[in-house]
Amino acid sequence: MASYSLTTLWYERQRYVPGVLAVAFSALLIALQVGLLLGLFSITSIPIDHTKADVWMGAPEVSSVDLGRPIPEGRLARMAYLSEIKRCEIYLQGFAFWSKPNNGGSELCMVIGSHLSPDSLGKIKELTPEQCGLLAEEGTVIIDKSDEKKLGVEIEKKAEISGYPVRVVSTTHGLPSLAGPYVLCSIATARKCLPVWKDNTTTYVLGQCRNRQDAPKVVKQLNQYKDVLAFTQDEFSKRTRLHWLLRTKAGIALGYAAALGLLVGAVVTSQTLYAATVASLREYAVLRALGIPRWRIAFMVVSQSFWIGIIGIALALPAAYGLAWAVEYFIRVAIVALPWWLLSAAAAVTLAMALVSGLFALRSLRQIEPAMLLR
Amino acid sequence: MIDDSLLTPALQGVHLSRSFGEGETKTTVLYDVSIELFSGQITLLMGPSGSGKSTLLAILSGLLHPDSGTVMALGHDLWAMSDLERERFRLRHCGFIFQGYNLFNALTARQQLEMVLRWGEGASAGEARRRAEEMLDLLGLAKKAHLRPTELSGGEKQRVAIGRALIKEPNFCFADEPTSALDWKAGQQVIELLRSAAHDRGATVLVVAHDARIIEHVDRVVHMEDGRLWQQEEHEAREPVLHTLKQAR
Repeated sequence: MASYSLTTLWYERQRYVPGVLAVAFSALLIALQVGLLLGLFSITSIPIDHTKADVWMGAPEVSSVDLGRPIPEGRLARMAYLSEIKRCEIYLQGFAFWSKPNNGGSELCMVIGSHLSPDSLGKIKELTPEQCGLLAEEGTVIIDKSDEKKLGVEIEKKAEISGYPVRVVSTTHGLPSLAGPYVLCSIATARKCLPVWKDNTTTYVLGQCRNRQDAPKVVKQLNQYKDVLAFTQDEFSKRTRLHWLLRTKAGIALGYAAALGLLVGAVVTSQTLYAATVASLREYAVLRALGIPRWRIAFMVVSQSFWIGIIGIALALPAAYGLAWAVEYFIRVAIVALPWWLLSAAAAVTLAMALVSGLFALRSLRQIEPAMLLR
Repeated sequence: MIDDSLLTPALQGVHLSRSFGEGETKTTVLYDVSIELFSGQITLLMGPSGSGKSTLLAILSGLLHPDSGTVMALGHDLWAMSDLERERFRLRHCGFIFQGYNLFNALTARQQLEMVLRWGEGASAGEARRRAEEMLDLLGLAKKAHLRPTELSGGEKQRVAIGRALIKEPNFCFADEPTSALDWKAGQQVIELLRSAAHDRGATVLVVAHDARIIEHVDRVVHMEDGRLWQQEEHEAREPVLHTLKQAR
């Protein structure tokens, strides 16, 4: 059965090309759109994903890592007393206004203040030991190379954050931002830049477990207190990305675009199969005259739709990787995320679309009438 | 002793009528036609265009419902069956050959035959291949089994179509203008194959054609005109089965 479908597809490939391309287009559109969104919103959880903490504890209402509120520094003790915790520390993060030098205007930035020791939990992994040494000096900050122009500075230039003078001592690479450029500094500098965070307050308490598998247990224990909210690293990362996805309504736009892509793919595939079946109506009519059941012919059409789906997906996935690579190559930022589950989901949805198209094309079989061969 | 099967018609149409259209546009193409066809016999149904011969073939083969009358095939009332039962009857007992070859462009000669066995009987790939190759050998197409319709001549394509009709070893074989698109040499080959199906395999073969040259190759000729049968000729010398039948009567 499959061999007849594949043989027909290959021999009459010119007839089926539009369907295959439509499926490939749909799969590519879904993979790249979702991948782009995932990649874009993974930027929002960089402070979580690029650090070593297993557990994050913040204010009760926190919905995203960038929306942390001050909590008393003393909350650290709650975590420190837990036997599963190996070490814990405070971490400051908040939005602030960056004033460009020479009255060049201001820009919203995201200040991140962490301990800078080699085993620090809140230190972004892009920071080298040398850069950590430079940040030890109060009033020094590091920004990403890609944000230099936006912030109107370069290395050794001075600016102000919330009226506090800072000096850029180095730059990182590959640390893109969405809401505001990341400004990395020490805890002491961050306190100056974030006046809302008075002494003895922190945005988060970060913890490292003796055994990483204990993180959910630690979180459960910490969440018994109603004045804090704790997450594992993975939970908080997902929560942050989901918050951005929903808050920006980007998910709705994504849904519409993906649905449109699927619809176009379904219509073209269905019409391709319909036309191909109609072109072979007389041959199918002979089979019907010979008593071949209608479902066998229907199965052949659906089987063709399956193979059109498989071939389309086989074309789309390498193309998705190629385009993601091209974006990364030209923009220098890995902005399209293509995890295996996304590619699998895109393939599954597209294949289902192809099969449904095959089912719609079955209406052509109603035209099969063996007696027409005798007219 | 005469075998009863030689006295009993394998296929019998009784008082068959059929019209197309309604009201003022209604056209009657068959008027109270009765016909008997016997196994091991090849019958030629002749007549001018529009005489109703293709309609009669369609009704006798279970493809077109008559307005009135009955068709008894192997003792079963064909038009009293449900659609599914009739479909199964055709699958088990009927082979068809049409004027157009109606072969799948993408499939080789062997695959055209295999498809009928695999889809119709659920035969395994190996068995279907073996039987298809045997049939193609019988049709003189063994060396062309791997060729597609575009690589075959008209006569070869019609022989593949005959193979597709006969590979199930049907009791009935219906052929509608099987030689009209062929030159006489190829046409003769086709008729001889159909004769062989009747005489060697005992099939009941009904051929609809215009070509008078076919007459001498068949056992019996039935003439139709204006929806009525008006003359039946039997060729005794060519058909021992029929000869026996006539003696028995």
